[in-house]
Amino acid sequence: MQAKLRDLLITNILAIVLGIVASGLMLLFLGKNPLSAYGVLITSVVRDGYTFADIFVKATPLMFTALAFAFTYKANLYNIGAQGQFYIGAVIAAASSLLLQNILPGWLVLIITLLLTIVGGGLWGAFIGFVKARYNSNEFLVSMMSTYVALAIMNYLLRTFLMETKAEYPQTDALAASVWLPRIIPGTRLHIGFVLAVLACVGVWVLLYKTPLGYRIRAVGYNAGAAEMSGINAKKIYILAFFISGALAGVAGFTEVNGVQHMLVQGFNPDLGAAGIGIAILANGNPIGIIFAAILFGALKVGGAIMGQMSGIPSSIIELMQGFVMVFVILSYFVRTWLENNREKRKLQKAVAK
Amino acid sequence: MINLLSRTIMMGTPLLFGALAEVIAERTGMMVTAIEGIFLMGAWAGFVGGYLSGSLIVGFLLAMLAGLLVAGLYGWICIYLKQHQVVTGVAINLLVAGLCSFLYRVIFGVPTTPLTVNPLATIPIPLLSKIPLLGQILFNQNILTYIIYLLAPLSYFMLYKTSIGLTIRSSGENPEAVDVAGINVLSVRFFTVLLAGVMGGVAGAFYSIGFLGMFTTNIIGGRGWIAFAICFLGNWNPKGAVIGTLAFGFAEAIAIYMQSIGNSALFPNELFIALPYIMTIILTISRKSFSVPAKLGVPYVKEN
Amino acid sequence: METAFFELRGISKYFAKVIANKDVSFSIQRGEVLALLGENGAGKSTIMKILYGLYKADEGKLFKDGQEIKIDSPKEAMKLGISMIQQHFSLVPAHTVTENIILGNVHGIIDQKLFREEIKRLAELYGFELNPNDYIRDLAVGVQQKVEILKALYQKTNLLIMDEPTAVLTPQEAENLMGFVRDFTAQGNSVIFITHKLKEVMSVADRIIVMRAGRVCGDIKQAETNELELSKLMIGRDLEWVTKEDRQESIDQEVRLEIQHITVQEKTGVPALNDISLALHKGEILGIAGVSGNGQQELCEIVCGAILPTKGKILLDGEDITERKIRARIDLGIGYVPADRSSDGMIMDMSIAENMLLKSSYNKKWQKHGFIDKKKLNQYALQEIRDYSIKAPSPEAIARGLSGGNQQKVVLAREVDNGEKVIVFDQPTRGLDLGAVNHVHQVILKERAKGKSVLLVSTELSEIFALSDRIAILYKGGIQGVFNSAELTTEKIGLLMAGFREGEVSNDAG
Repeated sequence: MQAKLRDLLITNILAIVLGIVASGLMLLFLGKNPLSAYGVLITSVVRDGYTFADIFVKATPLMFTALAFAFTYKANLYNIGAQGQFYIGAVIAAASSLLLQNILPGWLVLIITLLLTIVGGGLWGAFIGFVKARYNSNEFLVSMMSTYVALAIMNYLLRTFLMETKAEYPQTDALAASVWLPRIIPGTRLHIGFVLAVLACVGVWVLLYKTPLGYRIRAVGYNAGAAEMSGINAKKIYILAFFISGALAGVAGFTEVNGVQHMLVQGFNPDLGAAGIGIAILANGNPIGIIFAAILFGALKVGGAIMGQMSGIPSSIIELMQGFVMVFVILSYFVRTWLENNREKRKLQKAVAK
Repeated sequence: MINLLSRTIMMGTPLLFGALAEVIAERTGMMVTAIEGIFLMGAWAGFVGGYLSGSLIVGFLLAMLAGLLVAGLYGWICIYLKQHQVVTGVAINLLVAGLCSFLYRVIFGVPTTPLTVNPLATIPIPLLSKIPLLGQILFNQNILTYIIYLLAPLSYFMLYKTSIGLTIRSSGENPEAVDVAGINVLSVRFFTVLLAGVMGGVAGAFYSIGFLGMFTTNIIGGRGWIAFAICFLGNWNPKGAVIGTLAFGFAEAIAIYMQSIGNSALFPNELFIALPYIMTIILTISRKSFSVPAKLGVPYVKEN
Repeated sequence: METAFFELRGISKYFAKVIANKDVSFSIQRGEVLALLGENGAGKSTIMKILYGLYKADEGKLFKDGQEIKIDSPKEAMKLGISMIQQHFSLVPAHTVTENIILGNVHGIIDQKLFREEIKRLAELYGFELNPNDYIRDLAVGVQQKVEILKALYQKTNLLIMDEPTAVLTPQEAENLMGFVRDFTAQGNSVIFITHKLKEVMSVADRIIVMRAGRVCGDIKQAETNELELSKLMIGRDLEWVTKEDRQESIDQEVRLEIQHITVQEKTGVPALNDISLALHKGEILGIAGVSGNGQQELCEIVCGAILPTKGKILLDGEDITERKIRARIDLGIGYVPADRSSDGMIMDMSIAENMLLKSSYNKKWQKHGFIDKKKLNQYALQEIRDYSIKAPSPEAIARGLSGGNQQKVVLAREVDNGEKVIVFDQPTRGLDLGAVNHVHQVILKERAKGKSVLLVSTELSEIFALSDRIAILYKGGIQGVFNSAELTTEKIGLLMAGFREGEVSNDAG
């Protein structure tokens, strides 16, 4: 077991390093010196409490969308619709906050909004699980398509019912300060949503590995046939898994609207879903691993933004880094299996030789 | 109306390129989930080639090469390294998205006005284009559409009437049978994935240099996935792919038309933009049984 | 001494976790029928796969007619005239007979008509009744095997290798196959068949190679040996066999499980089970004999609740449980050891302890404040590991890493505990080595002694005869009769399995 864990850590770290190096090499095409660029990146990230805290701000919604993908992945289902569930959650968060902010005390609005996003995102996701259970639809396709539908709904609402009173841009009014998620470190943007995210990761881990329900979800994920033969209703599990998954992604909408943007605009955080998938893969679906992988991606995002502000480096460097890291992580899976097989083979040949 | 139908055929062309590519590859068991990335890389390469050389042909050739490379990476990781097809596809799509924006910037910097090329011209076919109604719709299109008129029946014939087609179909149903018959399953799969890369590259380039005349990072906007969906809904059969493509092409043509006449309260633009996607969802629900290739998505591993 | 047709010399093969073959050497002559005998895991399939080019040997050489040859792929094997029919057929279920046979043997545009004619002619030549247009998935397993053989003949094979060919056949079909083997070898061709069935070996083989733990431990002419000697060579030691005399003769008269006029209607229109009625008593083993595919799967599934019957009732201790689903039936004490444990009975990627939880995850006994009581579960698993001598390092060991026999023991342990009243065993010893088979039989008898009702479904007649108090024969979804096991002979049961009605079969046939 020691060797396996060592392999895991080393290959993952190597993958991340290679990903960063590869992106650095791409910088050469722009005539930029990657070493100096990265140097500035690292110093600017740690010099400044605000910037450093921003890593965790960025990591917060990523943890939720990564959990969303990982959760259904454990049930052998693909929820590619986290981005859409996030949009739905964001819309509900904005609508609920704006509606209630002047009627109820702030903390109550926040709790109600949180619950509504859970339900909203959950139902939007559960629909996918439902059609999978009832009609054996391909959830990959349905979840993917649902994102575009959610986007259309959000854009429509921003242009009509949720539009700001000024009616100038497709965005909502700003949320009143009473319904902002409280900051936990003054002087930074770090809000309580981060704590919520970490708790969610721990909660999902406990659910999956310590409770009978989690056991059943994993059983269905490994072998739905055997699970059904053992009295487990796989169809109910599909719907439940997608509900929880959608709810998690929906809460990301809450944290972003109430914790960061304090309003809802078009085209914000367009790659949360995809990045979430990447993080879930990097962490191999482990909720605790997701905490760290999300922080890593958060660091990449902040770093990428800083590099983007340096003249001549495009912000797409972020996506590039994420993409490279993800591809290298997949290669590392292969390397680990190969190492494992070689180890076993050598052990065997030693035993035979004796 | 004629315009709408004509538009349908035109917008359906890249989708059919992609859908046929997916049909052939998925029949061997490979879900080319990198298709969105292949389309995007094709669009980018097509534009770069077309703009820098002034020739659209160069653009399309470069697009085919780019698609080939992306598909090659996907194929190598999934077929030879036996990694998970969905995860790999998502990773590659992300990487390609980053690469295309970044490299566009590297090559063109930040232009003050968007760079454009002249898109593909329509080539009316003599005689045939004069036929009332049908002539306007079918024979007043660009060269890619005419190519797909040939490719569609060709792929049907290949798949069902030739030995290579039998091999392809068997590889996705029972690769062991193919292996035992002395054929290298991995090579068959890799070949179809590369083919998907070439066809997908052309499809992507259609959007940049065939239709729009420029490249934006959002240009593909999920259409690679629609081609993926069409393959599925068309039941992995070129005939079904054609029908599916017509349906989606029509939806897209309507969307473009409705957007041009402006918003209405009852039928907001967003509804039409979402139409193809809603259609996909409804169709995945209604068809009761699909003939999914038995080993779709399963890497072929010899116990060695 | 003529040069051997094919010879293997010093072949060794290592996999990641096991030595499959070590220094294997033997040869086969033209016109000879060679039996490769050994338990599961002895290395028989592996060595043949090396000969057929599916695997590459790590050490050793191959020879044809005295010349050294290299076989790197099935294609090269076929060029040398070698064909192999594996246990799991290499057929594409969704394609036709023609398409399957021409796969790999055709280039360019396919002339369907031409090939159909060719295949029809070839089939008639060997007396096979085949329709080239049939889809493989619609054919019975015995017919599928004929397609496999025809494919080999189409490729003009001279050495036919068959892996456990009679596993899926009735005694009569097995006879036909043996007849084909004799005809084929009379023409100067050779056949190697891999088996673990001693009777078969003695009836058709010219020479026998016995393998154990990857090595050859016997190379004998059929005329110079007997079953006892062969079985000793196969296992390397003497085993205490379960015999009829060991069992108590008395059966408790009380009926526990009643299956009344059950019909299961499939979508295709043909009922999978057609108006069957059975009564299972306490402390009884009811054996269900029959060729696979005659309704056994459905019978097991209606007892355990996986499918609900279209007509009829099921009663447990007088209570109507027809409408109850799987979970309810588990709670009522019905255990089920399925034929395919990897798809129906176990989760290969989970640990032994987690597999023990599979049927009782809803049960409060494993829960502590809503969480899984891991300590209690592990203790239970550890106890079962000891009781059943499961070879595993700990309860946390992943099921996939266990040998087939040990995996089956995990399922057994669990089902024996869950099945407080009724236990259904479907092919419980398929693929297990003799030691494990014996152990399973002893477990089954022990449960019977405890007063439980046992439904034993098996295609191994020796097993059915050794264990059953009464035997029912299943044919095309109907019961061909229920007999006391003493009333039946292999001949009679074979005829019943093939569809002959009771009146047409006399006891003199035995």
